[in-house]
Amino acid sequence: MNNNGNIIEINDLKKSYDNGKIKALNGMDLVVKKGEFISIMGPSGSGKSSLLNMIGALDTADEGSINVAGIDLRKTKNLSEFRSKEIGFVFQMHNLIPNLSVIENVEIPMFETKASSNEMRERALELLKSVNLEDKIDQKPTKLSGGERQRVAIARALVNHPSIILADEPTGSLDSKTGAIILNLLKDLHSKENVTLVMVTHEPYVGNMAERIVNVLDGKCQNIVSSP
Amino acid sequence: MSFLSLVVKNPFRNKTRSALAIVGIAIGIMVIVALGMVTGGLENSTQSTLKAGAAEITILQTGSNSFGSGGTLNESLVTSILSINGVKDTAGILRASNTSTTTATLNSNSSQGGFGPEGVSITGIDLNKLSLIGIDSVNGTAFSNSSTDEVIIGKTSAQSLNKTVGDTINLYGKDFKVTGTFETGNFITDAGIMMPLSTLQNLTSNKNKVSNILVKVTDNANVTTVSQSIEDAYPNQLTTTTAEATASRINQGLSFIDTASWAISLLAIFIGAVGVINTMIMSVYERTREIGVLKAVGWKDRRILGMILGESIVLTLIAFIVGTVVAVVGVELILTLSPSVGGIIKPSFAYDIFLRAFIVAFLVGVLGGLYPAYRASRLSPTEALRYE
Repeated sequence: MNNNGNIIEINDLKKSYDNGKIKALNGMDLVVKKGEFISIMGPSGSGKSSLLNMIGALDTADEGSINVAGIDLRKTKNLSEFRSKEIGFVFQMHNLIPNLSVIENVEIPMFETKASSNEMRERALELLKSVNLEDKIDQKPTKLSGGERQRVAIARALVNHPSIILADEPTGSLDSKTGAIILNLLKDLHSKENVTLVMVTHEPYVGNMAERIVNVLDGKCQNIVSSP
Repeated sequence: MSFLSLVVKNPFRNKTRSALAIVGIAIGIMVIVALGMVTGGLENSTQSTLKAGAAEITILQTGSNSFGSGGTLNESLVTSILSINGVKDTAGILRASNTSTTTATLNSNSSQGGFGPEGVSITGIDLNKLSLIGIDSVNGTAFSNSSTDEVIIGKTSAQSLNKTVGDTINLYGKDFKVTGTFETGNFITDAGIMMPLSTLQNLTSNKNKVSNILVKVTDNANVTTVSQSIEDAYPNQLTTTTAEATASRINQGLSFIDTASWAISLLAIFIGAVGVINTMIMSVYERTREIGVLKAVGWKDRRILGMILGESIVLTLIAFIVGTVVAVVGVELILTLSPSVGGIIKPSFAYDIFLRAFIVAFLVGVLGGLYPAYRASRLSPTEALRYE
C-alpha cells in the first residue's frame, strides 16, 4: 500500500484478446482505498471480470500501470506468491474441490505458506466457525447446500489473511435469501478482518451494499458513485 | 492435511479409471518380477550345478548324447584314461531310466534316457566314485558295491516319488531298498537314483559297458589341455565336454532368456505407461477449472506440476506392490502345483529383482505423468477458471 492509503491504483490499463480484436480493458482507471468495499457494475462484456482478473494478477495487462498492495503487477514475476499473500477469491461457482472435506478445502491456499499442518487446521477451524460451519468440517462439498458451499469458499478466501477479497458475482448462483446471507457475511468479514472488498455484480441491490459503485462500460470506468 | 496426503488421495477420485491404470502397470511389473524370479532361480540352479560336480570333464562316445542312456563305451577305457597326463581320477557311469511305482512292475528299459514325470533317471556308479558325480555325503548310508538290491536317491526324486530311507522302490521288476538320500545342488543329479555300477550293468545287459566316463584333473592341470589330450588319444572315438563349456552354453541360453524377458517386460511396461499417460491427461482435463482455482489461491506452477506428477507415481507404486504380490504368489503356486518343475527351479528372491521392478514402476510414473503435469502447470488461470 502506498502513502496515500490507496491499496489499488490503476492507470490507463489496457488489455485485449484475440490479437487485439477484443478490447477487454480500454484505458481503465481506478483507485481504491485500503479497507474500502466497492462494487463493480456494468453490462455483460463491459470488462468487469477482466478488471478483477487484473487486480488479482490472474492475467497481465498489455499497457498501463497497475499497483496492488504496493506491488507493481506489471513488473512482478512471482504473481502466484502475490496472490497467495494478498488476494482472496470468491467465485460465482464456489469452485470447491469435491473429494476434499470442507476443512481441507479451506486449508488448500495455506500450502504455499510455511504453516504446519496443525496451524493450517487451527486457522481453517477459526474461519469455519466465523461462517457458522464448524459442525460440517468433515463433510464433502456435495453434501452442502449452495449457500453453505459459498460460505466455505469465503472462509477459504480469508485463510491467508489477504489484504483484498475479490468476489466475482458471489451470489450469482444463489437464491435471493441465501444471497443476502452471503452478502451480509462478506460485509461482516470485510469489517472484522479489515480487508478491502471488491465485488463484481450486475445486480443493483448487491451493488448498493458497497460504499462506492464503479460503473464500467466498454473496458473503461464510466463513473464512480457513492452508495445511497 | 498434508500435501502428500492430498497427492495420495487425488488419484482415487475416479476409482475405476485409476484401478484400470494400476492393473495395466501391474501386469508389466508382474512379468518383470516373475521372470526375474524364474531366471534368477535357473541361474542359481546352474551355478550350483556347475559347482556340485567334482569331475571337470565328461567323456562320451563321439556322436552320442551326453545324457544318453545305455552303454556305449568299453569299461576298460576308465582305467586307460588314467594314464593320460593331467588326469587324477576317472569314473565310469552307466545311465538308464525306468518308471517306478510302489506296486506296479515295469520292465521296459527306456532308450530315451534322461528323466521326466514318468521316467526316473538311474545311474550306476562305483561307491568310491560318488564324489566325482558330486555326492559328498549321504543321509543314511550309501549302497555297498557288492549289493544287488540297494540304492540311494536324490532329494528331488525322493520328494516326487515320496520315498525316504528304509523305503522300497521297484526298478526293473525288482525291489530295491533305499539306504540313503543325497543332495548335490545339481538338479539333474538330484532327480536321479544311484546304484552300484555292476548291478545296473547286469540289469540292463550292459556288462563291461558305461555311458560316460567322468574325469577329475590334477590340481595344476589345464582342463582344456587335458580334454584335448583325451580326444587326441582316442580320435573319432571319444568326445569330451568340460564343465566350463557347459556353463558357457547354459549362460548363453540364460542370457537369451534374460534378454527376451526384458523385451517382454518393456513391452508390457510401455503398454501400461500409455495407460498412465491417458489416465493422467484425462484427470488434468477434468480438473482444469480446479487447477485454475489452485493457481488463483496462490499455488505455484511447480506445486501443481509436483501434485500431478506425484499422483502418477502413486498409481505406479501401487501397481508395483500389486504386481509384485501377484508375481510372487503366482510363481510359488505354479511351482508348488508342478513338482517336476518346482524341483528344478527354486525361485530367486534376490533384492535386485524387486529393486528393478520398483525403479521401472517409478520411472513409468515419472514419464507417464510428466507431460500431463507440465500441461497442468502451464494452464492460464483465467482460461482454466472459465473451463466448463
